[in-house]
Amino acid sequence: MTDSFILGLSSGSACLVTCGMVMFPYLMAGSAGVKRIAIDLSLFLFTRFVIYFILATMAWYFGQAIFSNPLVRNFVPGILYIVFAVMLVWYSISNSRNPKCPAEIVKTVNDKRLVPIFLGVVNSLGFCPALFIILTKGATQGTLLQSYLAFLAFFVGSSLWFLPLPLAGQIQKKEVLKTVGILATGLAGIIFMIKGLTNLIGGIING
Amino acid sequence: MDNTLLSSSLNKSFGKSLLYTLPMFLITFMFMTGGRLNFSDPYSLLATLIAFLLVNILYFMMHYSGKTDRYRVVLFIIFAMSLSFTLIKNMIAIRSSMSFSQADVLECKIPFCHLVIPMMIIPAAFTKSIIFPGSILNGFANISSMVVLWLVATIVLGRGFCSWGCFYGGWDDGFSRIRKRPVIKHINEISRWMPFAVLFMVALTAALTLVPTYCDWICPFKTVTEFEQVTSLESASKAAIFISLFGGLVVVLPILTRKRTQCSFLCPLGAINSLSNKVTPFTVKVDREVCNECFKCVEVCPLYALSREDIRAGKVSIFCSKCGKCVDACTKNAIHYGIKGVPAGHLKNFSRNLFLFVSFLFLAIFSAGAIISSFQSLLKLVF
Ligand code: SF4
Ligand code: SF4
Repeated sequence: MTDSFILGLSSGSACLVTCGMVMFPYLMAGSAGVKRIAIDLSLFLFTRFVIYFILATMAWYFGQAIFSNPLVRNFVPGILYIVFAVMLVWYSISNSRNPKCPAEIVKTVNDKRLVPIFLGVVNSLGFCPALFIILTKGATQGTLLQSYLAFLAFFVGSSLWFLPLPLAGQIQKKEVLKTVGILATGLAGIIFMIKGLTNLIGGIING
Repeated sequence: MDNTLLSSSLNKSFGKSLLYTLPMFLITFMFMTGGRLNFSDPYSLLATLIAFLLVNILYFMMHYSGKTDRYRVVLFIIFAMSLSFTLIKNMIAIRSSMSFSQADVLECKIPFCHLVIPMMIIPAAFTKSIIFPGSILNGFANISSMVVLWLVATIVLGRGFCSWGCFYGGWDDGFSRIRKRPVIKHINEISRWMPFAVLFMVALTAALTLVPTYCDWICPFKTVTEFEQVTSLESASKAAIFISLFGGLVVVLPILTRKRTQCSFLCPLGAINSLSNKVTPFTVKVDREVCNECFKCVEVCPLYALSREDIRAGKVSIFCSKCGKCVDACTKNAIHYGIKGVPAGHLKNFSRNLFLFVSFLFLAIFSAGAIISSFQSLLKLVF
């Protein structure tokens, strides 16, 4: 659970900063203050929750077959961790953190009331190694309930970053918080790199 | 000429300096000897006398010469080295090894260290438990006495704790003085916030796992204190991390940058101490009236606490540890110790004297035990 939570937390920060520029204007556009943003945000988070619930169920059912192969079980999680770690570290040290986010697609949605739901869908299904890791985790849990719990922890961790959004206008020292967030993401990358490497070495030792 | 005139405004005559040293002399004598000398153990007597003289000569010299950092750092480095020496000696006496086993963890036999404090706060608030396998009240370096000491020092000194109270800061402070000129001169400004990111990550992971993750996985000072026995892939990875962080951030980078890189970029307690700079009464002030923007202070600051913009704005950042290096370097006496509420340029001598008394007292009291103990061991070794 802890692992999934931290995974969510680190992917959430990266996702917030890469997609932030695309998502915020839509979440906030035309909204009448904190209350409206809070409602949009709740819809967005609820959609993500539903999507993760579906993913947890699917991952567990399909994963049981795929992960019965020891080669996949021993090496795939480690490799995914390393890919994710590289992505996080690159993201935190790169100067060009331009928004290149799947949520760009919302620009094509005409009915603005549907935007938070649409954003919830694209944001949870965005092509991101963290999603693959959590899918792997869900797939390798002993029971369906454990798979749900892993996804729940991931959902909570990744959603925490969005919670201050309604108050974004009132937060002072935003630059400092953003800087600390970016650096923390880089650190999370290093943690996952170590985890990935130990997973891989463990996999090699276990044959 | 200018320079001599200015520095003489801070230093004092021999007699006056002696007078200023007298209270420190009496307090440290009482503290180190308990009011009477122990003649039955000549090693302990001699070690106590040497430590007592060292502390008071350094304090006297701070007043006599008007320089702060030059003498502070001597005691600070000796403190860090003595502490590691004493700790390792105790570990070897108790466990015959520098490493601890799982049994030591279960029996709460690990000496407490102040760097764990940031990780204890959230679990202590929510679970009412201390997530460190040490003794709360008994024995060497117990948890309650260390937390109280740190709390008092932090409230009074703010981040001054990092230059006047920390048990480990002397390591990178020492290595940062080896080269005359830095090889690496510039860093990315945002790295100054790294300790806050580390604080965020370790506080969070410690709260979630109820394990002091910084000590368990990161702390470079494990290399010179004690560490987990290497029995598995995990403990081997931990040992590799401790050693590489010590080598990189405490030895190599300080030598190359002339900065305290461990304290500037890693230590989570440093982040908390920086925040506490907001409440402490003492500060470092920039007197814009006399500053000629030579930026020598910016160059020498070991914690990246000063930028040219800070000086132009007439302030120091929250990262300042009040080490006094910039104060010593300023030929115009434009950057000086101050008290919050008193405008820059006013009460320079009074503020410095008051700050020196309080901060040096902390350093002397914190370091006395370790220094006496290591001097005693060295004396026994030599004679
Ligand atoms: S930053 Fe950390 S290690 Fe450095 S002096 Fe401060 S508390 Fe000590
Ligand atoms: S600003 Fe001056 S007193 Fe503060 S840490 Fe830097 S050199 Fe030391």
